[in-house]
Amino acid sequence: MDGVDGNITLADVERRLRAYGTALWGVDPPLRPLVGEGDPAALRPRFDADLVRLPVVWPSLDLYRAALAHVGAHRMFSRPWPAKGLKPLLIIVVSLVEDARVEHLAMRRLPGLRRLWAPFHRVEPSPSLMAADLLERLARALFDAGYRDGNAWVDKGQRLFFERPERWDDPEFSLRLGGDLAGDLGKTRVQINARGHRVDPAYRDDNGGLWLHDTPPEPPRDTDDPLEAVRPEPMEGEGTRRTGPPQGSPSPPPLAVAENTALRPVARHPEWDHRIGLHRPDFVQVIEAVPEHAPPLSTPADARLAQRVRALVRHAVVARPERLRRQREGDALDLDACIAASAARRHGHVPDLRVYRRVRRRGRDLSVLLLLDASQSTNDPAGDGTVLDLERRSADLLAGALAAVGDRFALAAFRSDGREAVHWLPVKRFDDAYDAAARGRLAGLDGRWSTRMGAAIRHAGATLATQPTLRRLLLLVTDGEPSDIDCPDPRHLVEDARKAVRELAGRGIDVVCVALGGDPRTHHRIFGRRNVLPVDRVERLPEILPAVYVRLTG
Amino acid sequence: MALHSYRIAREPYYRPAGDEIALFEAAHADRLPVMLKGPTGCGKTRFIEHMAWRLGRPLITVACNEDLTAADLVGRYLLEAEGTVWQDGPLTLAVRHGAICYLDEVVEARADTTVVIHPLADDRRALPLDKRNELLTAHPDFQLVVAYNPGYQSVAKDLKESTKQRFAALEFGYPTAATEAAIVAHEAGIEPAMARRVVAVAERSRNLRGRGLEEGASTRMLVHAGRLIARGVAPEAACRMAIVLPLTDDPDLRDALAAAVGACF
Repeated sequence: MDGVDGNITLADVERRLRAYGTALWGVDPPLRPLVGEGDPAALRPRFDADLVRLPVVWPSLDLYRAALAHVGAHRMFSRPWPAKGLKPLLIIVVSLVEDARVEHLAMRRLPGLRRLWAPFHRVEPSPSLMAADLLERLARALFDAGYRDGNAWVDKGQRLFFERPERWDDPEFSLRLGGDLAGDLGKTRVQINARGHRVDPAYRDDNGGLWLHDTPPEPPRDTDDPLEAVRPEPMEGEGTRRTGPPQGSPSPPPLAVAENTALRPVARHPEWDHRIGLHRPDFVQVIEAVPEHAPPLSTPADARLAQRVRALVRHAVVARPERLRRQREGDALDLDACIAASAARRHGHVPDLRVYRRVRRRGRDLSVLLLLDASQSTNDPAGDGTVLDLERRSADLLAGALAAVGDRFALAAFRSDGREAVHWLPVKRFDDAYDAAARGRLAGLDGRWSTRMGAAIRHAGATLATQPTLRRLLLLVTDGEPSDIDCPDPRHLVEDARKAVRELAGRGIDVVCVALGGDPRTHHRIFGRRNVLPVDRVERLPEILPAVYVRLTG
Repeated sequence: MALHSYRIAREPYYRPAGDEIALFEAAHADRLPVMLKGPTGCGKTRFIEHMAWRLGRPLITVACNEDLTAADLVGRYLLEAEGTVWQDGPLTLAVRHGAICYLDEVVEARADTTVVIHPLADDRRALPLDKRNELLTAHPDFQLVVAYNPGYQSVAKDLKESTKQRFAALEFGYPTAATEAAIVAHEAGIEPAMARRVVAVAERSRNLRGRGLEEGASTRMLVHAGRLIARGVAPEAACRMAIVLPLTDDPDLRDALAAAVGACF
């Protein structure tokens, strides 16, 4: 896998690389693809105070690792110098010495890095006096004290560099030695094309991060980088976020949301922007709204279905072992009961013969949040009602069964009207009973607005995270794909929802989607193939939903 | 004497990271209940063993779990041919004869179990044995010490406020690199230079704490790796076996960590 020639894409190894970089240096700068024209083999990594840019495709994972380790060494040991008034040749040579200096400092701490970097220093002694060749050979000579070049300039650099290793700790050392060497090189008639100069070996960055320029030294390649246009700072809504209410504090609901039911902002959640690869903090406001009451649904039409659902749910075992004492039968003696029985016998009483104990798995250690999509599209007809009718019926059926077996569950619906108004409609909270009031709230749900799924998933995650059970499950029933009025780019909310699902998974919360339509590829992208249950005939939802629950919890 | 087997004969190796020995000695002089907090494998148990040895007290250790009942701590009647006989539990033993009772991972115990220590952990210093109709006053040498790892307690598992507020606490963390290297060198019997490399591996893994790993490598893990090295295992293989593989099952993290281990040797 490592070091094998072939093409590795940054996207495939990004997570691994980030963990590697973090492990080495303890900081985790965002990695970005490097956008550039021309020969990809000529691309060199770049970094600045915030970002590390790496080529999108590179020959090997070790090259990525070597680059990250090198950039990490710079971030650890280098301090940028002002470049003003310095000749390009000086900048190149000083950078080269600085590269060697930070690598040696890094290798003092992590000697194994030598094995990572050494294979890329492949240049051999040659009579060539081309500047690029000399510089590459100097790079090797400064990396590898055992390398013998033969060229007077390279040898001088090597001798001066290794003469006093204790001076490596001083960044000025690179300036002085680099200055010397650049002066020597300038006196020879060596030709150098400073503008087209390419740093070698390939893992080393282009040194842009080492120098402070008053104005960009060259039109940076980033000008055509679309990422630059979408940096998070200038996003609209920044001001409102700062002045926005902190979590849970009461504040008047936004004017856009005119409704008579009690509206209460309860939380703000971040939203993932896949274009910049960052969360936009506190970007979405979740408003809790109490659903209007309606007469509860009549008891499920098909009593046999209800019966079957109940049995199904009861037999799904999600349990931790439980020790039962004072049993009539069991696999071990219950010592306390034995003693009581024996004492009773001696006292002339009739002993209690339940003297066994056994272990059984009974308690169902699980919390479920059933989350219903209540957007406009659920008003579409399905069967003999609407999609929402079916959602309500199946939720009622399942909730009845869950309440009967005593599983911890909550029931809620969501819809959104822009990022400041993601409505969360609690039908039954974990601590509420599933009673007539809850059933009334369920019946009173109506379909409106859009589907900002990521925010709803995050809010559900926050609710579930406080549940003290072994397993936590979010069961999301939706008829479509993420969308909202303020998001023209359909991919944005899809990627955000995908990120939200992964965040929940990271907290040990399972997320499963029951899809009543929409593009299956979108659902697979968000939830993962295994966690999507497509329901082709919406009318079957009332049967399927409990079966899903059982499969997940059994 | 009843507690002879609980005495610690040889000095357990402990390298102090700060003034915890003096603080504990002061707490012990007044028999204050003490709580040791810290991540797994950072030396809490070793510390209390060392202190018990240092103070010349027997040490009774109970590893708490969620099935531990109050009777498991306090004691119970047993059945014998001629009748029942009372058997002191570990806590009662310590209270009666004057030992340090060390409840390890105390948050794992059920809430009703931890309540039995309440009367011992305030100025009453007594243990009611309701089954025996006895109020056992603590021996002057008895001291209660509990330990837990605040890192992985969930919302469901936290000490009650009424329990917490009976204890003085000492916080433990991973020692500084130099101290930790000395510990690893001593415990594993490897060269100090090699021990420093192993500690460098630990730093790599601790950098990933909260970024994929729940917890970085503990000092205990490093000692294990060091012992493998002392047995002639190549350092990278030893660290892989004792540190990387036990820490995570995530393939990406494992790969990254293995590569970072490679950078350390």
